[in-house]
Amino acid sequence: MEYIVVALMFVVFLQTRIMDLRRAVYCLGVQSAIIAAACLVIGMSHGGGLHAFLPGVLTIAVKVIFIPYAILKVVHNLQDENEIVSDINVNYSTAVAACAMALSYMVFDSLLPHFEGRDILASSLFMIMTGLILIVMRSRAIMQMIGLITLENGIYLFGLVMTEGLPIIIELGVFLDVLIAVVILVILTSRLRISFKTTDTNELNKLKG
Amino acid sequence: MEMFLAAVLCYGIGILTVFAPHHMQIMAHYVANVAAVLGSGLVFFNSWAIIAGDAPVKALRWGNYVLTCDNWSAVFLMITGLAGIIASIYALGYAESYEGKRLRILNGLWNMFIASMVLVLLAGDALSFLLFWEIMAVASFLLVNHEAEKRTTWNAAYQYLVMTSIGTAAIMIAFFLTCTHSDSFAFADMAANTLKGGWLHATFAAAFIGFALKAGLVPLHVWLPNAHPAAPSHVSALMSGVMLKIALYGFGRFMLDFLSEWNYWWAVIVMVVGLVSAFLGVLYAQMEVDIKRVLAYSSVENMGIIFAAFGCGMLLKVVTDSNWCQIGFLAALMHAFNHSIMKVLMFMSAGSIMHGTGSKNLELFGGLAKKMPYTALFTFVGAMGLAALPLTNGFVGEWMVLQGFITLAHNGLTQDVRLLTVLAFVLMGLTGALALGCFVRYFGITFLGAARSRIIEHAHESDVFMLTAMGISSVLVLLVGVFPAYVIELLCKAINMSDYMVLGVGGQLVWSGSGTFVTYNPIIIFGMLGVLGVAVLCFVVKQNVCIQKDVVWNCGTYPTARQQYSATGFSKPVRRAFDYLLKPKRERTFTQNDHSYFGRKLFYKLEIPDMISEKLYQPFNKYFVSASAFLRRLQQGSVRLYVSYVMVAMVIVLVWGAMYK
Repeated sequence: MEYIVVALMFVVFLQTRIMDLRRAVYCLGVQSAIIAAACLVIGMSHGGGLHAFLPGVLTIAVKVIFIPYAILKVVHNLQDENEIVSDINVNYSTAVAACAMALSYMVFDSLLPHFEGRDILASSLFMIMTGLILIVMRSRAIMQMIGLITLENGIYLFGLVMTEGLPIIIELGVFLDVLIAVVILVILTSRLRISFKTTDTNELNKLKG
Repeated sequence: MEMFLAAVLCYGIGILTVFAPHHMQIMAHYVANVAAVLGSGLVFFNSWAIIAGDAPVKALRWGNYVLTCDNWSAVFLMITGLAGIIASIYALGYAESYEGKRLRILNGLWNMFIASMVLVLLAGDALSFLLFWEIMAVASFLLVNHEAEKRTTWNAAYQYLVMTSIGTAAIMIAFFLTCTHSDSFAFADMAANTLKGGWLHATFAAAFIGFALKAGLVPLHVWLPNAHPAAPSHVSALMSGVMLKIALYGFGRFMLDFLSEWNYWWAVIVMVVGLVSAFLGVLYAQMEVDIKRVLAYSSVENMGIIFAAFGCGMLLKVVTDSNWCQIGFLAALMHAFNHSIMKVLMFMSAGSIMHGTGSKNLELFGGLAKKMPYTALFTFVGAMGLAALPLTNGFVGEWMVLQGFITLAHNGLTQDVRLLTVLAFVLMGLTGALALGCFVRYFGITFLGAARSRIIEHAHESDVFMLTAMGISSVLVLLVGVFPAYVIELLCKAINMSDYMVLGVGGQLVWSGSGTFVTYNPIIIFGMLGVLGVAVLCFVVKQNVCIQKDVVWNCGTYPTARQQYSATGFSKPVRRAFDYLLKPKRERTFTQNDHSYFGRKLFYKLEIPDMISEKLYQPFNKYFVSASAFLRRLQQGSVRLYVSYVMVAMVIVLVWGAMYK
């Protein structure tokens, strides 16, 4: 389990540094795959059966295969495939992510001392915050989508650890939500590209009344 | 209760005529208005029977929702029913002129409006009250907005919607506060609430603001003089005659049932706000040249008088803790009943004038009595009523209000209460005098003298429905004015007034609250005036006094219509006297000034800005807009910024939770 946490944190940190859209999507896929692995490990440790496998399998199907594939399709249609923020911004986001990590450890040490899944809880909060950081500090629609999925992964992991497996109907509902959110976001991003010839969300500020 | 349901069913049929096909719209119009007359008739007679004690009330329950009726609501149901009958008969004739101008929607909304008012009064729990209250607000908004092609109408309707929503919000707060301190939101449980201390004051404030806004009390009246002229006349009649009274119903429900522990200052606030509304309302009414705006401001005045009487009752209760207080509530109810008849009559006559001449500008009228004799007669009765002259019901109501103040002066033994009654007498006296001037002007400028413009030439008398409706209400004005005892007995029952204080004894009003017995016997006055009138008539006929006809002497020239008093000129003395309150803006320009005395043309523009909206609403508006501009800095239109607000909030909550777990 510790290896999974370490790998996860590494991938999330990497996520804050990647500027190329295509690589960012691959990185997201890897991140989701690690979540799926964590999911399977936790599922196995609580006994076998369909309920142990289903969330992991669904994670792989939705978050590892479908979502990156859908985003890559959009990226394929774009002319400029780089994030447009400066290098300094990247360093800042990594630094803020590091602060978020420290904060999440502090928060959980204070709230739930001597909890055995301390690392995994902290990493889930870290992922939530990093997702928000990505949304705030990146201006590309694709990167913001990646931030949203990261946030969602963090929430999912948190739920998984705290409840040791949600009822299957809720799992299905969560996955359907994510799926639909991504579909809508992909459509919106395509519209954005058609309307403004770019996926820079700063263009949307012009819509202010 | 079944009768009320049948009435609502009648209104339902009226609402359904909206779906009638286009070629049947006149038939649908008759069906809708006859349904409204029948429904209102059922409401009127059933509520009458309930007050008289002939009809048992069995509450209707559906889950937590209750429809019921007690004496307090029955009085207002009676007012609604009566005004509904009269105004719907009038609508049979008047609304027909809207053929081709969304007539079916007008009639459907008309039924919905009356039905919603009836249901507000029947509601026995907070939720259904608020629901029907909102339906009433929306229906009346749509009716005000009926002639939406006109820019002014649209503006007035929008202003009305905004103001009435603020009022509803305040009422919701009041209900919420009461409900959270009660077992359930049924009125019966809310009456046994456990409100204490500051919550009591908060509930009173919210209820008073909400209902005062709907009643059009100063300074919350700004919507009223705009909304009433914009609506079709029969709608303004019902809005002014009934909807404003429903605000009194709600306020009374809160005061009499929910908040029985009254504070001294509450009573003072209600009374002073009422008095100030009465005075300012009639002052502005005097200044207006739009006939419907005159009537709308007169509604502000009368609602002020009603609330002043109610406040007087509350004050008597707080100060003396005796049954003397009932004179205040009785006077408020009586004046509410009277005002609804008179104001419905006056708005109907204004509608007839508009229908006959196509204008509502007082300056263009004159000599209409020859063209519209019946309308003139009925308007005369209504104007007498609103000016509170004897033999009309307006006088009875105001007599009782003044008796309430005298009782307060006699029984309130502290200095400040006496000072307050002095203020009350001064303001009521001013109000009465100004109201008389206002309606002399209204009637005289419209119906007497010579025509001031050419629109009078084409003026025509209204049709039979409109005249019938006006006739019924003017007969009622006189009937209640001369024989008030029966109505007063009915209203006494409604507020459970003790027997030994009954006012109507054998046709005369007796009141002993002011230390001695005072009586008002309209029948004697009626008889004396009748004898006097017959004597004068005999004298005139015998002596041939008024036969000589000649041109009025006018310094050797023939008098022209332009030399008469104009509406603006008539109110000039009042404008001069209350200059400091009204702050009129005059603009005079002379053109063709080739001779210093002759052949000059004068352009005269007079504007009376509403001081309340200028001094209170516009600064507030300005401040609000600039505050919003400041808040706009937070809202830059960037999604990233909004997400960062969420993130900051989340971090703060997490850190806070971790620090003070």
